[in-house]
Amino acid sequence: MDDLLPKLLSFPPHPPPPKPLSIVQYDEGIKAQISAIKSIPEGKLLQQTSSGENALDIINPALNTVPYALILTAHMSAMQSGAKDVDLDMLWGKITDFLPNFDPRQARYLGSEISRIIEATAAIARSHQQIPLALPPIRDALLRIDPTGTVFTSKHLLLVKLALESRSYDNVIPVLEKPILYIPGSRNQPKAKHICDTALPPQAYITPANGFPGKGIRHHDVLEYFLYSGMVYIALRNWKRALECLEDAVTYPAKDSSISKIMVEAYKKWVLINLLVEGRLMDIPKASSVSKLYHTLAKPYETVARIFQLGTASRLKSEVEAGKHIWQNDCNTGLILNVLAAYQKFQIRNLAGVHSKISIAEIHNLTMSGETGAKLPSSQAVETLVQNMIADGSLNATLSNPSNQGSVLTFSQGGPVLSEKQVQAELAASTLRIKNLTQEIKNTDHIMTYDKDYVKHLQKQKKNTKTMHDQGISGGDMDWNGVDDEDLMDSLY
Amino acid sequence: MASAQSAPSSPTLGRTQREGVVTDPPKFDLESYIQNYQGRTRLERLIHIGACSTFLGPDALKLAVREAKAGKDIRRYLEAQSHLEAIAPREQEAVMDRSWVDTVDKQNKAESKRLEAELKGYKNNLIKESIRMGNEDLGKHYQAIGDLSKAFEAFGRMRQDISVAKHIIDVSRHLVEVAVEQRNWIAVSSNVQKIRSLAPPTSVSADPPLQPYLSATEGLAQFDAGIYRNAALSFLQTETGMGSTCATIMSPNDVAIYGGLCALATMDRNELQSKVLDNTHFRTYLELEPHIRKAIAFFVNSRYTLCLEILEGYHTDYLLDIYLQRHVTILYQKIRSKCIVQYFIPFSFVTLDNLNEAFCSPGKTIDKELSGMIQAGELNARINTVDRLLEALPSNQRAEAQREALQMAGDFEREARRRILRMNIGMADLEVKGLKRGGQHPGAVDDFFDAHAHAGGNVHVSNF
Repeated sequence: MDDLLPKLLSFPPHPPPPKPLSIVQYDEGIKAQISAIKSIPEGKLLQQTSSGENALDIINPALNTVPYALILTAHMSAMQSGAKDVDLDMLWGKITDFLPNFDPRQARYLGSEISRIIEATAAIARSHQQIPLALPPIRDALLRIDPTGTVFTSKHLLLVKLALESRSYDNVIPVLEKPILYIPGSRNQPKAKHICDTALPPQAYITPANGFPGKGIRHHDVLEYFLYSGMVYIALRNWKRALECLEDAVTYPAKDSSISKIMVEAYKKWVLINLLVEGRLMDIPKASSVSKLYHTLAKPYETVARIFQLGTASRLKSEVEAGKHIWQNDCNTGLILNVLAAYQKFQIRNLAGVHSKISIAEIHNLTMSGETGAKLPSSQAVETLVQNMIADGSLNATLSNPSNQGSVLTFSQGGPVLSEKQVQAELAASTLRIKNLTQEIKNTDHIMTYDKDYVKHLQKQKKNTKTMHDQGISGGDMDWNGVDDEDLMDSLY
Repeated sequence: MASAQSAPSSPTLGRTQREGVVTDPPKFDLESYIQNYQGRTRLERLIHIGACSTFLGPDALKLAVREAKAGKDIRRYLEAQSHLEAIAPREQEAVMDRSWVDTVDKQNKAESKRLEAELKGYKNNLIKESIRMGNEDLGKHYQAIGDLSKAFEAFGRMRQDISVAKHIIDVSRHLVEVAVEQRNWIAVSSNVQKIRSLAPPTSVSADPPLQPYLSATEGLAQFDAGIYRNAALSFLQTETGMGSTCATIMSPNDVAIYGGLCALATMDRNELQSKVLDNTHFRTYLELEPHIRKAIAFFVNSRYTLCLEILEGYHTDYLLDIYLQRHVTILYQKIRSKCIVQYFIPFSFVTLDNLNEAFCSPGKTIDKELSGMIQAGELNARINTVDRLLEALPSNQRAEAQREALQMAGDFEREARRRILRMNIGMADLEVKGLKRGGQHPGAVDDFFDAHAHAGGNVHVSNF
């Protein structure tokens, strides 16, 4: 082993040269190193040093990611082939040491290795019933490789599945809160010359060729990720984000008026969460092409939504009871119970639309509980409910007790008033996000120009212009920007 | 038909009009009222009053029976007679005159046959003018015996043999008349348009001016279709000199009432002043119904209670009008809401007791009506039930604009993201597609999801 070490540590040069390596040098160097290490038989990599240490103890994963990753995978192969002397505890320690610390630039060349390490992490954690321990390293690894978190990989799906299995949700939020924008495997993605180029957007170096995203991502992988992300947020009762995630699934593009069952499941949950967030059923975002199918396939849910909006508490309750087996089969009983609990809250919130000040006794008379289908037992219970609502911020009002006639609720009109500073901060944040998005739009636009159909379309346009010119008709503005503004991004602006 | 379409009655109005029965004595005199009309509408109106008013019922129906016997419409006669039989069986007119029915029936049939035969003869001779006249006679006959659809057809056929512009007017007027009785408002408007589209009316030089007739019938069509604002505008355009040109349909008094009520219900105070009170043409009509003018003037001068009081006084009368009955409640409700809104404008808050005093009869409260109006977005205010106040909504435009800006930015972000994702999914060729190319089932659902989804699904549900 000792003789191998210099070879293993040959790249990147240590100490770093005063002038950083150029992209080309870096690319060549790391490629040479990888092929050199891969040519070493795996058995040799597993050897200990003369002082009896494991090579992994010596190598710093943050500096020499390449040898570290390759030795790790060698250990894993050994374990899989049944070698007895693999120290699982040691290996686990090394993995959890490696995943949050590797060098993202080198890792771009190690897509399939890191992918394998992540999968092994999940497998080990599963077999030892310790899934929550696997979540932070996998999450960190994903964010190291792609800090923007906009490219979907099969590891995303794995992570969210693990979170649901182990019911530990908070750990994966940093990944889930980044919106997915790109799916690897685009046939038009231009191939990057040197994937170590730090200026590259993540979708350029996370490609099927690189091995990280996993082979053969199918549409239901993406859909499942959206649905499961929604479910994680549901479990955390972050209804707003849950709604957004489910919306991604609901509006997933579909052709030939076919629909995925996952989309329908997502739609059902989406309907219920709509009620929890808005108190009413919103329209499906325009992009959806299969809204008709949703209406037929999720009818019981839409009925509940209609009654929630317009019907009485007792009708809502009986409707929910009548559909008991439906919610159970769809695993939505929990959500339905939340909807029932939310009914009275929305009734109280709606009072703010008519009243500016109202006594608790009147609220008691005017609103009914969706859970029992009747009035609350006492105005005391109403007061507690109102207090809770004010406390959790769902009701903008103050409760006062001016005299002995019982408490009085005063609604503050127009919602919470933000201070100027808060507004400024929010606006600035929003501007920044939109600026970043504009970059993404440009990227997508750029990728689209490589699309086969688009190129065909351009050729046709060109021909038309030519013939038009030949006939003496001026062809108007036919440059690239003009065309793709019209065709692709028009509806965005 | 009328009762089926009547709007939900206002919570503060009496319940008597529910079944279309009016018990209060009306303000008008039956004889002079019915003198305003000619033709079949007299009968229709008399029967309507007879069926709806307990006060005028017997008198109106007796008149109706007599009127019907002078004509040849058996169905109308039987209708009037049976109503009378129900409420005043001892009257002389309440007994059914079977011999009259039989003779008239025979006469009608013979007359129909004769006219049809005559028309056939004219057609064989190919004399356009005769055919037109034949159709006109036939149409008039059918109209008189109450066979409106045949009458409409016959009058419609006249159009093929038109030679001068006046004929077009004749045809359209016949059609309008029949269509009004059929309540076929689309036909009414289209025929009015046809007359309008002729050369400017001066060249037609109709002796009684046509304009009032056209405006009034058009207004009526819009009014009965519930388009009150347009109806008001049409009625307001009616020029002076309607006289009895329209008497088979409506009287000048009706123009004033319908137009005035529609205007009150749909226009603001400035418009009422400029378009109604200062309108020289419409003033001549308003003079026929001075209380409408007074009501409008009170509204313009912000004396809403008086305005509503006047209208309330004529409620009974309007319920006995064949066209107004269906609409009067809705119109009153609209006027009332407008009054409340206008009343509230100058205040930042008003006590509910004040409002009750101004708008409700004693013992009734306005609370429910107010909350309905607030929910419908008509009144920009909130109720304070603790201190019994109606409070105006403070507006904070800056905060609103800021909220809107943030909202819009958020929406844009999401929408842009969704579209980027969509395009990238498309480019990765990962859309959901039909299972089989070619022989695909629309709406196919892929099933390979079950196993996974439910494993995950169970996890989260048990969480609650």
